[in-house]
Amino acid sequence: MLIYVARRSAYMALIVLLSSIAIFYSLRFAPGDPTGVTLNPLTAHQAREAYRERLGLNRPIYDQYFTYIGRLVRGDVGTSLVNGSSNLELLKFYGRNSLILGLTALALSYVIAIPLGILAAVKRNKWPDQLAMGGAILGMGIPNFWLALILVYFFSLNLNLLPAAGCCSPNQLILPAVVLAAEGIAVTTRMVRSSMLEQLRQDYVRTLRAQGLPEWRVVGRHVLRNALIPVISLSGLRLGWLIGYALIVETIFRWPGAGFLLVDSVIRRDYPVAQFFSLVLVFFVVVANWLADISYGLANPVVRRA
Amino acid sequence: MSTISQRRQDWERDVLAHAARPSRLHEAWQQLSSNKLALAGSVIVLLFCLVAAFGPLLAPSYATQVLEDARLPPLSPGHLLGTDDLGRDMLSRLVLGIRISIAVGLGTTAISLLVGTLAGMITGYYRGWVDTIVNGFVEMVWGFPLILIAVLMVGALGPGLLGVVLAVGLINWAGFARIIRGEVLVLREKEFVASARALGKGDTVIMVRHLLPNVIGPALVMGSYYVAVAIIVEAGLSFIGMGAQEPLPSLGKMVAEGRGYMLVDHWISTIPGVAIVLLVLGLNVLGDGLRDIFDPRLRER
Repeated sequence: MLIYVARRSAYMALIVLLSSIAIFYSLRFAPGDPTGVTLNPLTAHQAREAYRERLGLNRPIYDQYFTYIGRLVRGDVGTSLVNGSSNLELLKFYGRNSLILGLTALALSYVIAIPLGILAAVKRNKWPDQLAMGGAILGMGIPNFWLALILVYFFSLNLNLLPAAGCCSPNQLILPAVVLAAEGIAVTTRMVRSSMLEQLRQDYVRTLRAQGLPEWRVVGRHVLRNALIPVISLSGLRLGWLIGYALIVETIFRWPGAGFLLVDSVIRRDYPVAQFFSLVLVFFVVVANWLADISYGLANPVVRRA
Repeated sequence: MSTISQRRQDWERDVLAHAARPSRLHEAWQQLSSNKLALAGSVIVLLFCLVAAFGPLLAPSYATQVLEDARLPPLSPGHLLGTDDLGRDMLSRLVLGIRISIAVGLGTTAISLLVGTLAGMITGYYRGWVDTIVNGFVEMVWGFPLILIAVLMVGALGPGLLGVVLAVGLINWAGFARIIRGEVLVLREKEFVASARALGKGDTVIMVRHLLPNVIGPALVMGSYYVAVAIIVEAGLSFIGMGAQEPLPSLGKMVAEGRGYMLVDHWISTIPGVAIVLLVLGLNVLGDGLRDIFDPRLRER
């Protein structure tokens, strides 16, 4: 197991390294550079060149990359070109908001999806199952931005119950968290249901029932435990997707999180911020996948040897 | 007296059996038509594809032309679905928006299916160092959130559909390659492959005639989900302004344009919003149906 963990870790480190190169190059590959955004359009050519010189934008990209990594290792994460604030400061504020939103959405999706999936499996083909599965199909079909707009229409514009956007009171957290959780709820409910059904067909369930164990104990103690293994091992992947969707949901609700900042900085060509926050998000995705791999390895010894 | 008449009967039965044996396509169609879910899904998807293909014949005007100086509600004279915030014909824009969605969804999926199938077949069949490298790359990208990659691509290429398309292609071919490789790894050890090899069949023939028909099912199931994902990602990025740019009417962008008018003239957002939901629902339901057809083990659930 230890070798497996070590190998996965090395692999993940490699991914982060390669991603950092890809991110660095792709941003510099882009047409236009920070001078177009931060400097006055009337700035003289010489001044523009001097600015490029100062930022090191004239040097070869690999050279810039090594300088950047060197600084990163020494703890200098760079500052925003737009407002001069340090990335570390930005990370503290925006990262915290993202964490709040992401964890709420993640908790919400499992708290709703697991009981719902169990109910659907136990009441298979009866109305609770059909209702849950219909809802799940609908939940997978509605894009999050459209769901956001519908919820804002009803809860903010018509009923005046919840604010339509902004940060960071609990009131303002509800809508973005629900929207961010929606797809996860749908997917996880389906997953829990099919995993439960798979377990319910196993011989040990028949044996337990034959022994006269009450149904709630069969399901609650034995079936559920086994059924949740694939759900847990796929949670890392769900976390990655959640980070992706957060880019859109945070932007829609003007929730000042890391995703919102990344989208904003990409549009404004604020290289240091875009670079740093893409790396941060990539790092989180990689860690989530790493956790998924490790938990999968724990649950399934065959994988470790592969 | 089991001579001539008996033989004739045998012969007739054989001929009849062969004549009556449905082709693979026919069989698939029968299963599809008996599966309500898949049927409903394919009808919806087909309808959208028809609109995408022949839409311009339906659309009364240019999608980008400003025709009225007001937002007209649906069923207004000359504008079946009304006009948008800039007075452009909603029906024409919807048709073009559906075209873009279908083109992005089907186009990226078709290409990534092709590349992914090829890569998965070759790596799974031959193994070796090519497999190590390609599969290493596949494992690296397939778990990545599409939207994050798309935003980075947009960062590199500037806002537009190209970044979205490249991101979807980059991630999704790996998904296809991954499942196909897994299937091929199992299949290549099976007896029918060994017997084909013993008969002197070449590697290409074995892959195309014997392995491909067995792996294409799961790939198609995945494909219908991937089309849906591509459409959602394109719409989402267009909604936040990173996808399709003015004057192109992507469905996501149309929903965004109506945002400010939700209370007064909600149809500007509602019409494209409902269109996306219908299309994605159709694709997902079709995927569920196809999964039931191709994986009989799951059907009894």
